[in-house]
Amino acid sequence: MIDRKQLREIDWILIGLLLVNSLVGVALIYSSSHYLPGNLFLRQLLWVVISLAVLFLTISIDYKMLLAYSPYILCLFALVLFGLLAFGRTIAGAKSWVRLAFIGGQPSELAKIAVLLVLARVFSEFRRPYLTTGFAVLSAAVVFVPVGLVALQPDLGTAVTFLPLLFACFLLAGLRRKTLILFLILTLAVGLAGWNFLLKDYQKKRLTTLINPSQDPRGSGYHVLQSKIAIGSGGLLGKGYKKGSQSQLKFLPARHTDFIFSVLGEEFGFAGVLLVFFSYFLFLSRIFKTVPKSRDRPGMYIVFMAACLIAFQFLVNVMMIVGLFPIAGIPIPLLSYGGSSILTTFIAVGLVLNVKMRRFANV
Amino acid sequence: MKSSQIYQDFSPIQNRVQIVTILIEVLFLVLALYYWKVQILDYKKYWKMSEANRTREVIIRASRGVLTDRGGSVILADNQGAFNASLIRENCKNPKESYPRISRLLGLTEDELEKRIEKYAGQPLFKPIVVKDNLILDEVSRIEARKADLPELVIETEPRRFYPFQSLGAHVIGYMQEPSPEELRTVYKDRRLGDLVGKTGIEAIYDSRLVGVDGKAVEVVDSLGRRMDELSRVEPNPAPKLRLTLDYDLQAKAEELLTGREGSIIVLEAKTGDVLALASFPTFDPNKFINRFTPEEWLGLLKSPDTPLINRAIQGLYSPGSIFKIVMASGGLASGAITDQTTFFCGGSAEFYGHPFSCWLEGGHGALSLTNAIRYSCNVYFYNIARRMGIEEIAAVAQKFGLGAKTGIDLPGEKEGLVPTPEWKKKTRNATWYPGETISVGIGQGPLQVTPLQISAMTALVANRGIRVRPHLLRGEDSSPGKQEAGVSIQSGVFEKVIEGMWRSVNEQGTGQAARVDNFNVCGKTGSSQTVSSEKAEKMAPQMKQKKTHAWFTGFAPRDNPQVVVTVLVEFGGMGGATAAPLAQRIFALYQDKYDRQKTASRN
Repeated sequence: MIDRKQLREIDWILIGLLLVNSLVGVALIYSSSHYLPGNLFLRQLLWVVISLAVLFLTISIDYKMLLAYSPYILCLFALVLFGLLAFGRTIAGAKSWVRLAFIGGQPSELAKIAVLLVLARVFSEFRRPYLTTGFAVLSAAVVFVPVGLVALQPDLGTAVTFLPLLFACFLLAGLRRKTLILFLILTLAVGLAGWNFLLKDYQKKRLTTLINPSQDPRGSGYHVLQSKIAIGSGGLLGKGYKKGSQSQLKFLPARHTDFIFSVLGEEFGFAGVLLVFFSYFLFLSRIFKTVPKSRDRPGMYIVFMAACLIAFQFLVNVMMIVGLFPIAGIPIPLLSYGGSSILTTFIAVGLVLNVKMRRFANV
Repeated sequence: MKSSQIYQDFSPIQNRVQIVTILIEVLFLVLALYYWKVQILDYKKYWKMSEANRTREVIIRASRGVLTDRGGSVILADNQGAFNASLIRENCKNPKESYPRISRLLGLTEDELEKRIEKYAGQPLFKPIVVKDNLILDEVSRIEARKADLPELVIETEPRRFYPFQSLGAHVIGYMQEPSPEELRTVYKDRRLGDLVGKTGIEAIYDSRLVGVDGKAVEVVDSLGRRMDELSRVEPNPAPKLRLTLDYDLQAKAEELLTGREGSIIVLEAKTGDVLALASFPTFDPNKFINRFTPEEWLGLLKSPDTPLINRAIQGLYSPGSIFKIVMASGGLASGAITDQTTFFCGGSAEFYGHPFSCWLEGGHGALSLTNAIRYSCNVYFYNIARRMGIEEIAAVAQKFGLGAKTGIDLPGEKEGLVPTPEWKKKTRNATWYPGETISVGIGQGPLQVTPLQISAMTALVANRGIRVRPHLLRGEDSSPGKQEAGVSIQSGVFEKVIEGMWRSVNEQGTGQAARVDNFNVCGKTGSSQTVSSEKAEKMAPQMKQKKTHAWFTGFAPRDNPQVVVTVLVEFGGMGGATAAPLAQRIFALYQDKYDRQKTASRN
């Protein structure tokens, strides 16, 4: 399955960037949780190691094979998610956790990989110059099964992160100008309908406080405000590692998960923010540059979707914590604490490496 | 062929990827710029907010100056540590949810809680509002246990005023209350929300001297307001103690004697004006006022018909009755209206200006000298002096004796009383003065009004043979003997004659004989002042007439080297000689026991 020639083609620089960003995450998790029980940074480190092993496992299997089995994998995840809704225990307000023996995780994270593979397979068959409505609806239906199940948990943040996969496919398949406009109108309509009929009060409040976070400092605007205070008070060079008062004195919420970047901003200042922006940008652009190097259409879809998945979460998170986007509960891949998230990101990068190293292979 | 087909196929895809990549690059750039704005341009603003988050200024209240009696060892007003429950509105996530919880926790109705918060609506949100004070330990632990989910409710400690003897000296010491937000803005500008201030008595008049300098600590706190560290600390500086002139034993005795009556007893040190005791009854427990929130009880005291909050010694206005004969006798001699040889005949009544004026003794006293007129308190004798002096002369003498003006005691709210003159009557009632009224004033009736303290000061003036003293309550700087005020322009021989009469009144079967103390040479004068007009009194049965008079006694002792002045007023107490004089006797006896024996013992 894997020969020497392909081994030489492994993109070690991408793996290096992946690990650098992961280790930045571990360091920030240590700063934001060293006073909590459970040694979270060690757990994260363990997850990085496990995920690296899984990454190498991922690249050892030809992605063509993975694509072939992808419908079954998706069905399996759909079943697990359905089972969670039926039998799962509510943890932190959502039925999103699965525990197997000593290890626990959120299947909703890994389900993204399954969706990614299925979409890659479906879209690679699509050979027209532009996306057709029928095909768009069909592919959306595939995605909305797991998204719906995750949204019902309810874990709206994770559900939203599925959407860039679909949209990435639409973009790659080709959108006419009028389709794009139609999309915008549709998004607006869904948004309006959602505001009036679907969103719960707390979700609405998150959106309104985006506009004016200080109007209700202890309410839902509190989190954004505290995050902005943390980041803003970091200044140019920051307050120093483990010395951020907003983080260490717990004014900042969800410090080691959703608001890990705020900890960075407070303790390392604008300099630290720029540095991580830069290394993350290098990491992302390396994946994006892989897209045209793919041997075939499914490969391109896989790489592009992986890139969009990670980029979307990163960008939304760094906008969210300074109040440019509603608080959506979306962590930063690699930086935020969370085994499932790390594992999913590593597998996605594994798929990218998988595609890239097989670009010269003969079918 | 196959590969070229693939490459043809891929070029639009590559373009699309390119566009997305550029979009993401732009987004990265825009975000970096926005972070630059937040972290570099707005740095100061957020840094201040983060400092405000992490630090908290805690006021460490200084304890109020302690009040002691004249010996310095009996503490009349002390301080105790107390716990308050305060609400910080800024920390309150959802008032609708938490206020009912807080009111249940504190045992208040929601309405009461709302009112207390409402009171400070104009204050900044971060300032703690005291919603319940003087918590018991059980309440403190119940609040502490809910600290995590009720971050808006905090426990504060403060030194709290405490009066160990409850109502003892309450009218002198006064009480403390929370000022209204209006008063905070105008009168007590340097005070903080929730501070208590002295509202009456010594607590009010020396309030600024009793306030210490509060300390301050800057603490580092976490998001739940838990104290993590301390950055700086300035210890509070308590106010020094104030020593009052009150004598604990005399004050306690005076209040004991008044229990069950309405009236006042004043004991002055004759030469200095030190107030040894100043009692007013009924009284109240000032400890009850320190509770910030007992409006019902307070209103109850305010509205009570026997007016316990009134300090009768300085705010009660009474006709002096026969006590005024001291002024008349002194004035008559000084003005030359009479001499010490002048006698008048008392036949039980006499006619002046066509009206009959009666003496209290229906059979009359017969022919009387001045000293005996004082001794028996004969009305007719003094009617005659009044007619000879005239109202202008009487008023001038009364004013010389300090009537119609504040004594200047260091207590707020003192009343002036009234010395009537024809001009006064013209001005206030637009009527002319009848000569008959002068006759009434001669025995201390008519529009004449005095406070018991004025009578006390007047008695001290007589005892000191014309040297005036100012009654005062603060010992030390204020009571040095040099502070005696100027004398009145009356020869001391005049006073000797009056004092002779007063001595006889007590020691030779006069009206004041019930005040006699062996070996103490008490000199005094009784009074029974009418509380209703004389026309009405004439129609009453004799027992009723007695019941309707205020009983007075004022005197000093010993005769030649006066040490102590005692004034007693019992409202509706009947005859001064029967009701007031025996009370004065107990005070004189106690004084002699405590001070006179001490002096003789030290001399031996």
